[in-house]
Amino acid sequence: MNTGWSCRRSVWLAVACAALVAGALPAARVWAAVEPTEAEGEAFRAAVAHVAGAVVRIEPLGDVAAAKDAVAMGPSTGLVVDPSGLILATTFAVPETASTVIVVTPAGARTTARPLGRDAARGVVLLATDPLPDVPRLDVASRRNLRPGQWAIAVGRAWKATEPSMAIGVVSAVERAWGLAVQTDASVSPMNYGGPLVDIAGRVIGIVVPLPAETAGLTSGTELYDAGIGFAVPLEDILHELPRLRAGESTLPGLLGISYLSRDRINGAPVIASVRQGSPAARAGLRGGDRIVAVDGRPTRRIADVRHAIVPRHAGDALTIAVERSTAQGDVTMDVTATLAARLPPWRRAILGVVGAESSTEVEWVVPGGPADVAGVVAGDRIVGMAAPSQGVEATQPTSSSLAGTLAGCEPGDDVRLMLGRSGGDVEVEVTLAEMLRQVPDASVPVAAGDPLVGPLDAGRIARLEAAEIADPAVAVIPSGTAPAPLIIACGSPRGRVEEADAIAWKAVAAMSGVAVIVPGSSDPRQWSADDVPGVLRGIQALDAMRPVDPARIAVVGSGAGGGFAWLVAERLGPACRGVAVLDAPIPRQVTITDAEPGDARWILMGGSSAESVSRLAPDRMRLEAAGHAVGSLPMASELPRELLVRWATLLGVW
Amino acid sequence: MRHVAVRFLVAVVVVVAAVGLHADGPATPRQVAASAARHVVKIYGAGGVRGLEAYQSGIILSPDGRIATVMSTVLDADDIECVLDDGRRFAATLVGVDPRRELAVLSIEATDLPACDVEAGRAGPGTRAMAISNLFGVAVGDERASVQRGVIAAVVPLEARRGAAEAPYAGDVYVLDFTTNNPGSPGGALVDARGRLLGMLGKELRSTASGIWLNYALPADELVAGCQEIVSGRVATTTGPTAAPFDLRALGLVLVPDLLGRTPPFVETVVPGSPAEQAGLRPDDLVVAVGARAVASRHALEMAVGSIVAGDPVRIAVIRDGRVVDCELGPRPEEARP
Repeated sequence: MNTGWSCRRSVWLAVACAALVAGALPAARVWAAVEPTEAEGEAFRAAVAHVAGAVVRIEPLGDVAAAKDAVAMGPSTGLVVDPSGLILATTFAVPETASTVIVVTPAGARTTARPLGRDAARGVVLLATDPLPDVPRLDVASRRNLRPGQWAIAVGRAWKATEPSMAIGVVSAVERAWGLAVQTDASVSPMNYGGPLVDIAGRVIGIVVPLPAETAGLTSGTELYDAGIGFAVPLEDILHELPRLRAGESTLPGLLGISYLSRDRINGAPVIASVRQGSPAARAGLRGGDRIVAVDGRPTRRIADVRHAIVPRHAGDALTIAVERSTAQGDVTMDVTATLAARLPPWRRAILGVVGAESSTEVEWVVPGGPADVAGVVAGDRIVGMAAPSQGVEATQPTSSSLAGTLAGCEPGDDVRLMLGRSGGDVEVEVTLAEMLRQVPDASVPVAAGDPLVGPLDAGRIARLEAAEIADPAVAVIPSGTAPAPLIIACGSPRGRVEEADAIAWKAVAAMSGVAVIVPGSSDPRQWSADDVPGVLRGIQALDAMRPVDPARIAVVGSGAGGGFAWLVAERLGPACRGVAVLDAPIPRQVTITDAEPGDARWILMGGSSAESVSRLAPDRMRLEAAGHAVGSLPMASELPRELLVRWATLLGVW
Repeated sequence: MRHVAVRFLVAVVVVVAAVGLHADGPATPRQVAASAARHVVKIYGAGGVRGLEAYQSGIILSPDGRIATVMSTVLDADDIECVLDDGRRFAATLVGVDPRRELAVLSIEATDLPACDVEAGRAGPGTRAMAISNLFGVAVGDERASVQRGVIAAVVPLEARRGAAEAPYAGDVYVLDFTTNNPGSPGGALVDARGRLLGMLGKELRSTASGIWLNYALPADELVAGCQEIVSGRVATTTGPTAAPFDLRALGLVLVPDLLGRTPPFVETVVPGSPAEQAGLRPDDLVVAVGARAVASRHALEMAVGSIVAGDPVRIAVIRDGRVVDCELGPRPEEARP
């Protein structure tokens, strides 16, 4: 009985087991097949297949072979947006100079295409080729429905004309670069620039573009390739402007021409500090002090809101700007219409001809013969009011930054009225603003008035600017005292590691004037290289930690090879560099000259050791002047005039 | 009775799991990583000076100690050490190299090694893959090699260079959508979602077309073929093609002189009776492609023409009067050889 049951049980068990195993086998397979890793791969392929028929390869014409060590132009990708033969590609792959490119269709056929209109801000160009009747219709993913974290696949056809490539990632952010682009972590490279970024259903989110770092709000020069950060400009935005591009119209970023009172360019209140002369804002009647409350009906509470409203727009677009203005009758709100411009006239710096401390409105020194001197302003006066009729500004109790803002909006030749607080009683003077100084006046600014620590017997010291990770630190002349010091970065001949003795000549002239000097060394004793620039920047930080540096008075000087390096340092410093003085040093090719802006304008001194050298610098002088920078001359000599440069450095912050 | 049923269920689950795994290999990424890592060895050899790394990766090919890796300066050493996934260390000897595929086979004195399951076919773009390698040499001592995951981005012929030199291998590679061009990665294993070997991670190379760094792997079929050639001693001793490369002169094409090194490949004259004339090429044509390969410069055209193999017809695309015209070039004539 017992045995029988046991036997029966064994048989039953064996049968049941076999049946279950047989039945479970396919189940196990199914389970393995839907394992997410494989299902994902299938979903990626399906998404790419959905759009692949509209993705073409773009080949440049003529030689643009890869430069030896650079990410250079080779084949790239494009997206057919209309079967009549309209293709979107990037301005990276189709530069202005290209009149024809080759398009390779998914079937492998080569044909030519010519560029129609371009959108410079988004970096896309529309190409026209023969009709492509077989391309699939594109489904557009609306930006409204995008969420960070969802799948994003960058499709390219540059690797192979007959099979699309894919890079897998997610949407990293929906509104980037002031609303111009969607951000993704999919690996973007020249191989998929111009291709679509699609969602997991194959709907097109946008066109993958190498957005200039500056547009993206990053430090200029940032290398974005292969960095986990990529951009796509939404297809719906481009389709919106397709008629314009098809008509061959090229669009440029639109500029308004205002600066803000707040230094916080994101969260600051959108209150206008100054309006650029001749700009769209000036023509629309905007003035310093106006608060922008809405752009095209969208409320603007922060500066970032205004930028979000303006950056995606093109030159030629009209904006309705609502501003709040204080008038004698109380606050009024008004709407003005401004038509954005592609280029603003270069800013011309207008000055009163006074020097003051950074955070006060007290006049420390008056430029002899300058507008303020002529009007009777004297050292020790305090500016307690300023009226600039050209700007519609009547300021009482101005701060140094509001004064600077008002002045930034004025042109040389404008009249302003100053109310001066003076010990003998307040006075009112009228000053006709002058152009920014070109030549350095002979008289020098008295050393940090009221700083008892500075005296001829204790005029500072020379120290090495030790900083972590810097192998051969620069040496510096550090003046005594505590007031923020003007700074000269003196780039001599390349000499490898610098010694403290190399700074002695500078100490003799700079320390007594309260000016700091950094003498950097080169990593290679025979030449300067761009790799030496970060060491200089670290030196400035190290110096600032020992003795505060006046941010409005930082200058770079150099002669010969050191002059070329000085230009590199100046470019890296950007707006922080307020002066460049060079001898026998034309502007290196890799240095770009940006238009002068309030807060980003330089006083430049150029000179040569021979008449021939001086005449060779003429084209550079013209470029700099055309960009709105003040350019003066150095006396013809083989060495930099240290005393003059020290005087110049103290005057860089002139109002 | 309930006790028996529970035991029975456990037995079934175990059987099903075992059968399932045997049928399809490991399936979850965790299982795949653990299984594939057993086939990867860390290789230490020469280097450590002038910025060259002294380590790379290798794949166990056979249970008796054959290991595939990339041909590199790491192997220029009297003592090459292989560290297995289980932590065992072996001195390795170099069996041979395949200079064209830049492969090498090492041998260690071991038996019953876990040789990997090779995927015979080619995978396509979008295939989920994992890479296991001695990435940056961070897996020290007995630590397991590093695992990365991503997808295959493209399958394309390798057009790449190291410094100024063209890579000798020009067959298909898997271009990967994740960063594998790292020190130590070369020689690592690329496996699919089931742990089958798809290929071997390649050496650091830049794309000729775009200048970008390549993340790529040599497909498994090429890897196996190369290793078999090495083991059987059938590897060609030279890296160059056996026939003299085809050139523009043999084709009958004279281009506009390349004065600046950047002149586009415009045709100046076509030699009467030449293959170029028979193909219909004419003076003033701008050559834009040879076969599927775009040529934007005279140099690129010379490289493309050099890779034409005898016996294959080739299409040359030119621009003539603003239109693309395809010219069919007949099979490469035998007399083009010296």
